Amino acid sequence: MPTDSRRIAGPESSTNPYSFCTEKPRHDLLKNGKRQDGRKENNLRPIFLKAGVVSQARGSAYIEQNETKVICAVYGPREVVRKEDFSMKGLLTCEFKFAIFSCRERRQHQQDIEEKDYSVQLLEALEPAVCLDKFPKAQMNIYVTVLQNDGSALAAAITCASVAMADSGIEMYDLVAGCAVRVAGKNLLMDPCNQEEYKPEDETGLTNSGSVTVGLMPSLQQVSAISSKGEIEFELVKQAVAKCVDVCTQLYPVLQQALVKSVSERQNEEG
Amino acid sequence: MVDVLLSDAEKTFIIHGIQDNLRDDGRGCEDYRHMEIETDVVSSTSGSAKVRLANTEILVGVKAELGEPSSGKPDKGRLEFFVDCSANATPEFEGRGGEDLALEISNMLTRAYDCPKCLDLGKLCVIKGQQCWVLYVDILLLECGGNLFDAASVAVKAALYNTCIPTVTVSQDEGHVDIELSDDPFDVQHLDVTSAPCIVTLSKIGHSHVVDASQKEEACCLARLMMGVTEKGTVTALKKEGSGSLDPSSVEEMMETGKRVGQALNKSLMEVLCLEEQKGKKKEKTGFLR
Amino acid sequence: MILFPKHSMSTTPEGNLGQRICHLDENIICGQGTYSKNGFVYSSRAGYLHKLQSQDDKILFEVRSNVATTTVPSIDALVTARITNVTPRFCKCAIMSVGRTLLRETFRGQIRKEDVRATEKDKVEMYKCFRPGDIVVARVVSLGDAQSYVLSTAENELGVVIATSEAGSTMVPISWCKMQCPKSLSEEFRKVAKVQPLFIQYSGT
Repeated sequence: MPTDSRRIAGPESSTNPYSFCTEKPRHDLLKNGKRQDGRKENNLRPIFLKAGVVSQARGSAYIEQNETKVICAVYGPREVVRKEDFSMKGLLTCEFKFAIFSCRERRQHQQDIEEKDYSVQLLEALEPAVCLDKFPKAQMNIYVTVLQNDGSALAAAITCASVAMADSGIEMYDLVAGCAVRVAGKNLLMDPCNQEEYKPEDETGLTNSGSVTVGLMPSLQQVSAISSKGEIEFELVKQAVAKCVDVCTQLYPVLQQALVKSVSERQNEEG
Repeated sequence: MVDVLLSDAEKTFIIHGIQDNLRDDGRGCEDYRHMEIETDVVSSTSGSAKVRLANTEILVGVKAELGEPSSGKPDKGRLEFFVDCSANATPEFEGRGGEDLALEISNMLTRAYDCPKCLDLGKLCVIKGQQCWVLYVDILLLECGGNLFDAASVAVKAALYNTCIPTVTVSQDEGHVDIELSDDPFDVQHLDVTSAPCIVTLSKIGHSHVVDASQKEEACCLARLMMGVTEKGTVTALKKEGSGSLDPSSVEEMMETGKRVGQALNKSLMEVLCLEEQKGKKKEKTGFLR
Repeated sequence: MILFPKHSMSTTPEGNLGQRICHLDENIICGQGTYSKNGFVYSSRAGYLHKLQSQDDKILFEVRSNVATTTVPSIDALVTARITNVTPRFCKCAIMSVGRTLLRETFRGQIRKEDVRATEKDKVEMYKCFRPGDIVVARVVSLGDAQSYVLSTAENELGVVIATSEAGSTMVPISWCKMQCPKSLSEEFRKVAKVQPLFIQYSGT
């Protein structure tokens, strides 16, 4: 892994104190129909979503789902500086980054493989929703920073980035709502928090253990992103995807409300 | 992806054909192209395989080395994927040209193999928390003729099947640990890959979907669904790729097809691999000569 | 033209992004901020929905927002640019605004020798038309190549609007091809625009 020479990297080897404590295995994701934070299987965490939070960006949004906090800024359309072929379609770029301190373990300053993977997924989730032909040969840049990660970061990022794109005034076919689900045994836990999220190193002993994330364009009813981790039985994957689609549709008014608020706020400012 | 130039008329021809379950090379929508597998092709590796799927050619070499286990899984070996897009395949890959594609393939493979039941990595542990076998799976794209993900996953599975890990003995005295490698070249361990996944890519073209899209078909396709499917039919990874979007109902249909095709693919792959092992040294080697 | 500032059908005054506005039929035109798909008209922007009656009794839907809309140069748009580089065959410039929308970042453009003026194209001398630092009003002819947009000043109303003399003060136009420095009274050649506020406003995309 290359390191950034301009930064003080800190001691060459340091250990997170958490790695010394033996974590108790998390077999009890669900107790008497209730999850560790008191939610039911289907319950989401409360969502706070606000558009127009970064004044210098063309569009921006902030989402908070309890302890998961994501901020997104959109810049452009700007010139494509790299010499590339002429294209009648606009170009979207996407950078997904966990803030260094956002997770339990300290993150590196440079994008790691997971973040690059998320960047691509986020890009592919948004591409179908944006009218790319409205800005030929120019590019829009989307920057997503996870300020604090308490699970379902990709889903929150999808929602946040689509609202930020809409806030920038770029024409879009639809918004994209994101939703994650944790599959554990026969249970489907919506919007998992960090403790509930699937981690391949955990030995849960369950035959079905994994997570599914879906991005949906609610008005057009089109799935724009889908990804899963872990080994899951086929029927359960199908159920999980269907459930995510349902929940995304339910999230739609929240996204719209955030946009309406930012539009009317701007109107009030002007006049 | 490596693009071919296709006119609108050619695209329409392909799309209309697929709607009638007829593809431009005469296959049905759920048929794979002819696939050739050969294992043990590179003698300097611990295991290797070469897969040729029509004109897609992929060579995989596995090298087993001793290293430190990751902190999250102290009692497990490690599996590292690396994809090299050779400029032999297309000049576009020269320099850093193939980097994005390479990363995408290796991420998908990592994700598909990243579940405890796919491959028993516990067997690869030598000393808990200190030493384990690290399997470096290097994938070399020699020719790109569409459907790289599926071909790569088949080649990886075949190469892992072929992998021989030398037996080591650990002796401990006075807090000093010795690792001794067996002298006998036939004293080796094999990996059990029966429940390892294969990736099945379903390309949405027009209103239908196809498996194993050729390069021309990939040019007509806006959205793909990739699935890691095991022999039992469980899904180990799922990913939508491409700039298009999918209907929830077609996602379901595509997943059904993916499961069906994936199970069949796994089954026939294992049969072929067993057959090849039985032949042992007697088998006819084709290598890179065709 | 009748203007309904707020759409009567929608529950919120704001036409929201992705919201289905109505069925598409031959009497409906999708204006800015809307698109049609599968027989419906959808909004593609968060803003206020306007329902307009066009002359031939058709209904035009537009979603307008208070965020600047035209953000990239499009063909036939009027742009304001600063000249950065002049060569005998063309000059390069940085597009600073499209219509009346100020851009946050500039786009590269170029004016070729044959697009400088409408007549006697072969007699154009680039150094007598533009100098680096001049502000010009030009029209986008084509999206050009991957590098730059192709601009034209081949109209009376297009050309240099602000220029600085060698003495350092802003010059005043004295003819269609000359400008004078008020300090040193020296004359310099430029392809001068005959600025007509009405014209600029009218075609201000």
